[in-house]
Amino acid sequence: MPVTDNSAGKTGAATGRTRASHRLALLTADNASVPLPASVQAITAILLAVLLIALPWLGLGYRFLSIAITTLYTAIGLYGLGLQFGQAGIMSVGHAALMGVGAYASAILSVQLGLGFWTSLPFAMALSAIVGGVIGLPTLRVGGQHYIIITFCFCALFVIVLTNGGTFTGSATGLDVGSVTPLPGINFDKLSNNYYLVLAALFLALAATYLIGISRYGRTLRAIRENEQLARSVGINVDLHKLGVLMVSGLFAGLAGVLQLYYLRHISPTLFGAFPSLYLALMVMLGGARYLYGPLIGAVIVNFLPEVLNLDPVDSRIAYGICLLLVILLLPGGVGAGIKNVYCALTGGSGTQTQGGGSNGRA
Amino acid sequence: MAALEVRGLRKQFGGVVALNGIDLDIDTDRVVGIVGPNGSGKTTLFNVVTGVHPATGGTVLWQGQDITNIGAHRIARKRLVRTFQQAMSFPGLTVGENVRIAWEQGRRGGGRWASPGTILDFVGLAPLGRAIAGSLPFGSLRRLGLAVALGVSPELLLLDEPGAGLNDSEAQAFAAVIAQLPPQGIGVCLIDHDMDMMADLCDRLVVLDFGTKIAEGPPAEVLADPKVREVYLGPDKKAPAS
Repeated sequence: MPVTDNSAGKTGAATGRTRASHRLALLTADNASVPLPASVQAITAILLAVLLIALPWLGLGYRFLSIAITTLYTAIGLYGLGLQFGQAGIMSVGHAALMGVGAYASAILSVQLGLGFWTSLPFAMALSAIVGGVIGLPTLRVGGQHYIIITFCFCALFVIVLTNGGTFTGSATGLDVGSVTPLPGINFDKLSNNYYLVLAALFLALAATYLIGISRYGRTLRAIRENEQLARSVGINVDLHKLGVLMVSGLFAGLAGVLQLYYLRHISPTLFGAFPSLYLALMVMLGGARYLYGPLIGAVIVNFLPEVLNLDPVDSRIAYGICLLLVILLLPGGVGAGIKNVYCALTGGSGTQTQGGGSNGRA
Repeated sequence: MAALEVRGLRKQFGGVVALNGIDLDIDTDRVVGIVGPNGSGKTTLFNVVTGVHPATGGTVLWQGQDITNIGAHRIARKRLVRTFQQAMSFPGLTVGENVRIAWEQGRRGGGRWASPGTILDFVGLAPLGRAIAGSLPFGSLRRLGLAVALGVSPELLLLDEPGAGLNDSEAQAFAAVIAQLPPQGIGVCLIDHDMDMMADLCDRLVVLDFGTKIAEGPPAEVLADPKVREVYLGPDKKAPAS
């Protein structure tokens, strides 16, 4: 239907809406492509960094710090998933398996060749990236839910291979490794030092995600997410970039997997199966894959929710299910979108800019 | 030698012959119009030339190079760019980002635009740079489609029904923008059904019917051709001579 180039009709419709539904729309809108002012971004980053660095000194206890480490290495894996899903639009529900590739590669290098954390890390990350690209080959032919099923199959297959790998993979029992090779003056057997190691990696993942997001590469990925055919017609090599982003995602997953391995010191196939993979998908959707802090928020919610509400594993699964439903219904952009919208509403600016610039959102 | 040379181009979808040996020469210093009834193969011609669909037979030469079936993104990088009938954009991104994406691709090897902003100015979208593309009214979306294609710094632009869905004043404004392109070294080849606009805008018309070219020449001549009149108005039933 032809629509005239005239915003008068739109404004009329907007005033017709009830105030409540307008507020709800403000909260639920997806505003990932509207940047916040640089000062706000900088203050958020500094506050978050200070909080995360100060965490071990807040006296919250051994258990809290353990969960924090789990949260952070999970978040590193999620930043890869956030990149492929949030930026390029390729979802995976087998991402834990990709972390498992990194973890097992590092563990096998340690058991078979005696390589330590630092030397095995690049190999493990590279292998995860390559496997990520290979699992990505079907994306050249199928997309959306079809590809999701393929990632799920990979995940199931990976667990079967690990469980039947004999002494090489440690079968169902898994593999053990020593502790992280100490750096001069830093012994990673101490929990807080292990926390800082994982935190440093998280900062790297955050910085990489931020830089990709504002770069030409990030825009290329978003173009592919938004309209593959148009992306091709402006000269973007869509196939290459799809495989590329899955390999970059694999790098993050490999890093997360190795950190997980050296924190737990023992890995087994069940850590990288269907449930952990689904949790990763849940976390990235809860937090908001398109937002810089979305994956971190998702990891914090899912890892700390059972602790805060004192839930057993079965109850926590029910809680996660409810959270996911709430997010899908109320916050399609994730909690990250909600926080950004609330901030924009409080400061009087409009989070979502529709036609006509900022004035529309203030009505 | 013309910039774009299409030789014996064929496209079959199963048993349906969409293009049946098309020959076409298009230069980059003028506006060429492609007309024909629905289903005559106009859009298919664009799709095959720009690599969206593979050709069944024949060749497409662009600046002397064979570009048949080399892939849509490679053809775009050679500055042969097209728009789509359905007014496409990257809907979740801002207008500015839409154009910037194309501009960054076109900048490889030297583009013609200093910044994405100059393209927005050219098509008259500058005030909407921060708007989300998916929220644009249809007329602006058409302009955005053109801006994105221009961003790639094309030497020849294939426009698939740029006026479809626009009202008269919008279509006229759009035609005015298109008319500015050939003097800047951007050749235009467009498909449209608005015969008045096409007659005004085009230096040459090509008429397709059932996947073959049935007429080609200056608009006035082509539109007077009895074969073309038959295709558009049906077989001549001894129309009153008045």
